[in-house]
Amino acid sequence: MASVQVSLPLPVLPEGWSGERDFKAIGPLSHATDRNIEPVGPHFLAHARRKRHKRTFSEDDR
Amino acid sequence: MSGENDPAQRVAIGISFGNSYSSIAFTTGEGKAEVIANEDGDRQIPSILSYVEGEELHGGQAKSQLVRNAKNTVAYFRDFLGQAFKSIDPTPCHQSAHPVQAASNVAFKIRDTAEEAENTVTVSEITTRHLKRLRNSASDYLGKDVNAAVITVPTNFSDAQKSALNKAAKEAGIEVLQFISEPVAAVLAYDARPEAKVADKIIVVADLGGTRSDVAVIASRGGIYTVLSTVHDYEVSGFKLDQVLMDHFAKEFIKKHKAGGDPRENDRSLAKLKLECEAVKKALSIGTSANFSVESLANGLDFTATINRSRYELLASKHFAAFARLVTHAVEKAQLDPLDISEIILAGGNSHTPKTASAIQNAFPETTTILAPSTSPTAINPNELSVRGAAIQASLIQEFELEDIDQSTHPMVTVTPHLSHAVGVLCISGDESSGIFHAIVDAETSLPVRRTAIIATPREGGNVLIKLCEGSRHIKVTKPEPKPKQERDSDDDDDDYDSEDEEEELREKTWKVGKVLSEAALRGVKKGAKIEVQINIAADLKVNCIFREVGGKGGVRGLLSGPKVQQNGSA
Ligand SMILES: Nc1ncnc2c1ncn2[C@@H]1O[C@H](COP(=O)(O)OP(=O)(O)OP(=O)(O)O)[C@@H](O)[C@H]1O
Ligand SMILES: [Mg+2]
Repeated sequence: MASVQVSLPLPVLPEGWSGERDFKAIGPLSHATDRNIEPVGPHFLAHARRKRHKRTFSEDDR
Repeated sequence: MSGENDPAQRVAIGISFGNSYSSIAFTTGEGKAEVIANEDGDRQIPSILSYVEGEELHGGQAKSQLVRNAKNTVAYFRDFLGQAFKSIDPTPCHQSAHPVQAASNVAFKIRDTAEEAENTVTVSEITTRHLKRLRNSASDYLGKDVNAAVITVPTNFSDAQKSALNKAAKEAGIEVLQFISEPVAAVLAYDARPEAKVADKIIVVADLGGTRSDVAVIASRGGIYTVLSTVHDYEVSGFKLDQVLMDHFAKEFIKKHKAGGDPRENDRSLAKLKLECEAVKKALSIGTSANFSVESLANGLDFTATINRSRYELLASKHFAAFARLVTHAVEKAQLDPLDISEIILAGGNSHTPKTASAIQNAFPETTTILAPSTSPTAINPNELSVRGAAIQASLIQEFELEDIDQSTHPMVTVTPHLSHAVGVLCISGDESSGIFHAIVDAETSLPVRRTAIIATPREGGNVLIKLCEGSRHIKVTKPEPKPKQERDSDDDDDDYDSEDEEEELREKTWKVGKVLSEAALRGVKKGAKIEVQINIAADLKVNCIFREVGGKGGVRGLLSGPKVQQNGSA
């Protein structure tokens, strides 16, 4: 899928900010909701193939 | 049929099978879906069979028999398949063969042979005969023996209905590769066009047919479709529009021929009236006026008249309003706002009517695109959406073993976690120091997912902060300045005041920043550079992200573990 284009700029890093290797994990995602995806179309088929062969997106790219 | 289960021997088509009309389509070598015309040249083939002295008539030819031979003409039967007699609504069959009970099934008593005696023919058998005719038309056209199909069904078609249809198709020599739902087929028909771009959007499919209207709200996320809500209505339908015209012309006839009687009170006159009114309705989709002309409408009297489109729109206005209400109801049921809807695909025959499209358009903001013949020059024929989607799906799966198709459509594969909130970054706006959320992955996206964003940096470059958060969509309502002279003291006045204001209030889609997930720093970013953020979210909600300067070296990686597994019973 095409990248999301964001034209508003990112903020400047505050003075004194620090994080291990410049990254700081803060909190996990909220819980997800289980729903049924429609078994239709080329993108679903790619999903089904990955799921059945337990492959990730990047393994699929190769 | 030796090759029935051998994928290499398959000749597969798409079939849409409605109560009113059916269509057949195939996919060309170039991957383009094409709708097939039958021997009569029809692409919308009435789902009707009629028997005259043992001869079987189908489609348009059978439909004209509704005037002379209604008792031996079977129509509007799709929804009866796989149902108990007591749970069907026989109303659409008032002017054709009536459904009767046969053991636990629905059947029709018809004279379908040259013999005098009537036979009880089950709805399954009728369906098989209908599908055989469709299959033959497709085989003739393709010059190959069609033996497999993807068939579209409504979203509320039960397993019992599907299994009955599967059996009936098999009897007709058709191996059903897959049933797909009608609204999803319509979305696929649009997405399969070469110019279509895969995107994240919420789509509504409004399928306005002859005997029923069905609306589905669908989250389309990178080409993966999730149905968020559906509504079905058997009162709001094309029949109702026909009825408006029938009443109109019947009254005109009575006015003109005082002694002619009411054509609605005689079966044959009524059938003629109905057929002609459907034709008038279709003509009014293209022309601004249409002619009604029936020989010997009642008591041997011919009748011709004209109606213009605006008169029709006025007479049927409450039905157009009902279509619009049905669509907004489906959006509410999905707990969404009209502002969330990017596109409304109008499907089903009545979507040709310009007023149908404009009534729905008026219930939505300008940001919602209405895909209908009268509102969009690139709209696909609403009658053909389902069958085109089915033909495309057929071409995608026709080489698979049936067992593989079944496995892929199993809940083990189709039930997936969906994000409850959008995930994105905080950006800076012109004047505010607080951040503005920008979504990268939308809520209701199926997991796992991978998305990339390209984000602007401060004017001077330097060190930047990338804050990943959850966001929830918020509808901001701005009320216009209250008029100062109006004093409000009683409750009654208050209500009036609010409703007057309603039209003028400004509604916008904004974001509320939710939980912060992570922070990352990119240092020494070049002036004018852009930052690429790649987010991978796994099915267990682990997040893996990469932040880097576009065209730059290195970058920062981050890992986030998923939330703790919820304990059963704990709050
Ligand atoms: N060009 C047109 N303009 C207006 N109405 C049309 C047009 N073409 C078809 N219709 C109407 O659309 C309806 C049929 O819709 P559709 O072909 O989607 O049928 P269907 O799916 O078999 O319907 P259902 O199962 O609801 O009975 C009929 O009421 C028909 O009169
Ligand atoms: Mg339909």
